[in-house]
Amino acid sequence: MNINKQTKLIVDLDKKPQSVMKTRGKINWGKIGIYAVLIIFAIIYAGPLLMLINTSLKSLPEFMKSATSVTTKLNFDNFVDAWEKANFPRYLTNTIIYTVSATLVFIVTAVFLAFPISRGYVKGSKIILSLFLIALFLPPALIPQFQLMLRLGLYNNPIGYILLFTINPIGITILVNYIKTIPRELDEAAALDGCGYFRFVTKIIFPLIRPAIATVAVLHAIGIWNELILPTIYLTNKDYYPITRGMIVFQGVYGSNWPTLAAAVLIMIMPMLIIFLFLQRYIISGLTQGAVKG
Amino acid sequence: MQAYHFGGGKARWVPYLLLLPGMLLYVLIALGPSIGTTFFSFTNATGIRGAPVDWVGLDNYNEFLLMGQASRDNLAALGRTLIFCFFVTTIQFALGLLIAVLVNKRVKGTNFFRTLYFMPVILGAVIQGLIWSLFLYPLGGPMAKILEFFGTSSEFFGGQPSEAFAWVIAVQIWANMGTTMIIFLAGLQTIPKEMYEAAEMDGASGWQTFKNVTWPLLTPSVNTNLLLNIIGSLQAWQLFLVLLGYRNGTQVLGYLIYAVGFGQTSGSVTSSFRQGYAAAASIVLFLLVLLLGSIAQFFLNRRERRILG
Repeated sequence: MNINKQTKLIVDLDKKPQSVMKTRGKINWGKIGIYAVLIIFAIIYAGPLLMLINTSLKSLPEFMKSATSVTTKLNFDNFVDAWEKANFPRYLTNTIIYTVSATLVFIVTAVFLAFPISRGYVKGSKIILSLFLIALFLPPALIPQFQLMLRLGLYNNPIGYILLFTINPIGITILVNYIKTIPRELDEAAALDGCGYFRFVTKIIFPLIRPAIATVAVLHAIGIWNELILPTIYLTNKDYYPITRGMIVFQGVYGSNWPTLAAAVLIMIMPMLIIFLFLQRYIISGLTQGAVKG
Repeated sequence: MQAYHFGGGKARWVPYLLLLPGMLLYVLIALGPSIGTTFFSFTNATGIRGAPVDWVGLDNYNEFLLMGQASRDNLAALGRTLIFCFFVTTIQFALGLLIAVLVNKRVKGTNFFRTLYFMPVILGAVIQGLIWSLFLYPLGGPMAKILEFFGTSSEFFGGQPSEAFAWVIAVQIWANMGTTMIIFLAGLQTIPKEMYEAAEMDGASGWQTFKNVTWPLLTPSVNTNLLLNIIGSLQAWQLFLVLLGYRNGTQVLGYLIYAVGFGQTSGSVTSSFRQGYAAAASIVLFLLVLLLGSIAQFFLNRRERRILG
């Protein structure tokens, strides 16, 4: 098999110039076909976004006259309007608080879970791991979770709301698998040097598994940022609303004023888009790993 | 158990102690409640704090599936869930595969296209929904103009239930196709280049190469995607909330569970929160997911054994 592979590689090297020559000077219909499909889909994917940007820059009368006309001037009043009327500073702060604190608690607890499970340093670590895996195949937790929070007095309570987001079984499995790639000898050597368990995990393991932590943290944070159902269920006080819920309320009030609504949506998208463009690699690797394991 | 290096005696308890918070949170918030759903489905629990919870046996199931107009509506919602699942799964699977094959080709700009197609995945249901509400603005919005060009029209989300439902399917696919594409892409990149070169040397056409090389070797991604799409679309309902609200003739099971369990509009806790009944409904949905997931898994495994030996 291996030898076979190598011979084919050699053939490949021989062949390359030929295939380049083949494509030169001829119209490549295959390539044109590929681009045609890709561009059609690009329009379907970018179109709604461009419409959003265009609408956000128009005045309401302009929009009423023609929804699709391209804006002639850059009018940023809608953004100011949305920012002030939508109570955005409040909602955005809430979302940031929820996202950051829940992700932090999750990551810290997750590392102390994943490390001993991965290493087999606690009794029944295989059973514990399977407890996390079966979560994906159990009934939804929604109703009893609500009953529990209600009884604990954590209903309509930001701390209770944050608690809901401090777990992520897929994240745990990604961390467990990643820690397996770190050699065990490291533990032994560190222990011989007198390094304690807590210090070893925080000072040595933590930095070593940073790529996996970044992946898991980003995925987890995106989930919290976009969550709509749980705030609708658990938070009734407007002061506690995250941006998703605030957006729905805003839509209810300004539903017909699309220019302002579009500006509000853009304000809400911005942080996500920036995070996405910078951390794309982590998001995608997390999703594929989670999917393959789950 | 593996040899532990960080000391014996009391020090041996440190990993257990540090593991405890995460474990407790998990059992309390996820595992316990998950198991508890079955229990609650046999009770008349409400959303009132301190109200008594009585055992009612199979009453909730009986009412949900077998009693009067309400149960007929429930079964209609169940049917709609299956229709939603069928169209979303098949179309998203096919498009995701096509796009993944195309952006895996060595042509310029594939990174740009990948990023663009994947983008909606991270935006979440609220934004996905609002973006499409605007794009499908019925009074001269872009899609209305396009349809007009082809001599047709639609009232989109404000139209007949079946029409609105179809548009939600479209948005759902638009929003999640990126995930399917990414998983296929990961699968495509594990196929050794030599396989394609060998096929080329044998004079295989593009379609033959796809049929005999790409498709069989893509089996793991095919399985993952099909299962993810089936399970995901059976449970998806957030876009219905954002795009349609709780509208007769469009509800799917997930939305129904939420509506009976937490009130349609949600606000303050009221007695109309029929949580025991909602728990029974979520067990019905869960069994549906389990059943379809297992059937799919069975056929996919059989196919995998046949292809990969």
